[in-house]
Amino acid sequence: MARALINLPRTARRGEVIEIRTLIQHVMETGYRPRADGSVAPRDIITHFTCLYNNEEVFSVELAPAIAANPFLSFSLVTAESGILAFTWTGDNGFEQTETRSLTVT
Amino acid sequence: MRIFAGLSLLAALPAAAAPPPGASSCAGCHGGGGMPALAGQPVEAIAGAMLAYKAGQGSPTVMDRIARGFSEEEIRAIAAWVAAPR
Amino acid sequence: MRRRALLGAALLAAPALAQAAPKVVVIGGGFGGATAARALHRLGVSVTLVERDATYLSCPFSNAVIAGLREMEAQRFGYDGLRREGIAVVVQAARTVEERRVVLADGATLPFDRLVMAPGIALHPDAIPGLDTEAMPHAWRAGPQTLLLRRQLEAMEDGGLVVLSAPANPYRCPPGPYERASLIAHYLKTHKPRSKLILLDAKDAFSKQRLFEEAWAALYPGLLEWVPLSSGGKVVEVDAAARVVRTEFGEHQAAVANIIPPQSAGRIAQAAGLTDRSGWCAVDPVSFESRLRPGIHLIGDAIIAGAMPKSAFAANAQARVCAEAVAALLRGEAPAPPKLINTCYSLLEPGYGISIAGVYQPKDGLLADVPGAGGVSKPGAPTAVRAAEAGYAEDWFRTVTADAFG
Repeated sequence: MARALINLPRTARRGEVIEIRTLIQHVMETGYRPRADGSVAPRDIITHFTCLYNNEEVFSVELAPAIAANPFLSFSLVTAESGILAFTWTGDNGFEQTETRSLTVT
Repeated sequence: MRIFAGLSLLAALPAAAAPPPGASSCAGCHGGGGMPALAGQPVEAIAGAMLAYKAGQGSPTVMDRIARGFSEEEIRAIAAWVAAPR
Repeated sequence: MRRRALLGAALLAAPALAQAAPKVVVIGGGFGGATAARALHRLGVSVTLVERDATYLSCPFSNAVIAGLREMEAQRFGYDGLRREGIAVVVQAARTVEERRVVLADGATLPFDRLVMAPGIALHPDAIPGLDTEAMPHAWRAGPQTLLLRRQLEAMEDGGLVVLSAPANPYRCPPGPYERASLIAHYLKTHKPRSKLILLDAKDAFSKQRLFEEAWAALYPGLLEWVPLSSGGKVVEVDAAARVVRTEFGEHQAAVANIIPPQSAGRIAQAAGLTDRSGWCAVDPVSFESRLRPGIHLIGDAIIAGAMPKSAFAANAQARVCAEAVAALLRGEAPAPPKLINTCYSLLEPGYGISIAGVYQPKDGLLADVPGAGGVSKPGAPTAVRAAEAGYAEDWFRTVTADAFG
């Protein structure tokens, strides 16, 4: 399991715009870098990130080899009702990791 | 423009023997504040120690890392310059 | 037009100048500037040193002052040594640099044939919202801030959390935040053992990292925690009055917070139009002449030196090379390509020292590492080696301060 960091408020008012920050520790190996022995390091990147808000997709992004290691993503969300936010990173070599956070909307 | 300005000052400033590459950095440590001062020491002793450190001999803490940055010719030139009293 | 006018001026001035020693002004009396002034004077150049303060307080070893291991007066150096040698010392800030003359704070001007500037750094606490350096000192320039941080640590109750934040590159003294964390941890261990230190970092890697981490595991287990960028180490704002430090992913309630802000070349370098968009000064690596204003040379922490770090040792080494280059140019000669050395010691507790060294040469317009040279102290070395390097650190300090200030 990679270490994932997520920052969002625990509570918010209905209709409020909140900022969500995520970071996952990942090498983001481009697939182009030659190693000391002359061979090329195979690509190993996060390719896709999604955020589900009560099972509805509210944000997603495709990532490419040019993205830096430990990709940091920051995005905004309009709150509707209390529930669960699910964050999923998927990538090369069958990588998949999901983290959840609860949000209370008042 | 720069050459003219330089020429105009030529007479006033005699050239001294300039330090060979790397030599002027030595004074940061070897000026007599605790580590061995170099001025007045035999040139061969300084060059010999540096060449030994470069070859991985002896047990220096930092001088091996520094000696590896210089060729034998550069080390001999540095030794001659830092050994001269000034 | 401009070129022709200047040429005319130079030709007219030539007979007068030929009779007098060439005039060089040095701005900044730190390790770089003071060394440059003395080296130029020895080369027969008439030198005037312009320095804002009557005495200089050394940043090297100031972390030991913060940790109560050393007194501030041991950091203080004056300019009487330079005056005795015949160097004119003007204790005044420089306001700006016009064509071939320096304008001082009181409006007086100093003409020069060439100018050497060692302007050091400017600190930018405004880059961190909420930061008030009287409540959360940076202590990144030796002086009142150093003593303020020391007093805050002394006044802290046992069990408090000390938060230290290290900036992103580039900044003055790359291993400095880690030496400081080590020595504050030593103070806590010996005086306030229930306390903790968190070192928040805007980077994922740092100078001498393996050696610092080796020492921290041995000396300060459970006391000192390093939080890199990828673990949420970047500080985004603070509440200085409440002593709260916020990162991208959380917040810390500190008893004492030491936020080291982003930096750029010193104020006079900006005022004189010598900085580029990075906020630092690009120079030629052979002559240390500004890439933006011919006739002005820059050394020390303010410059973009490629692989060479922003250290007092580097400033001292650059000053000597720059002085030779300035003297050569005044003779109408081309300066010879130099090699330069840097060695930086860090103290992890009293009697425990480590070092990083490098040898540099001009390459592709910057100073590059000479391949195969340089590196850090051996990991896992016996305590006698660490003790020897702690001693060499003090030897270096005695030597370089004598070299710079006489």
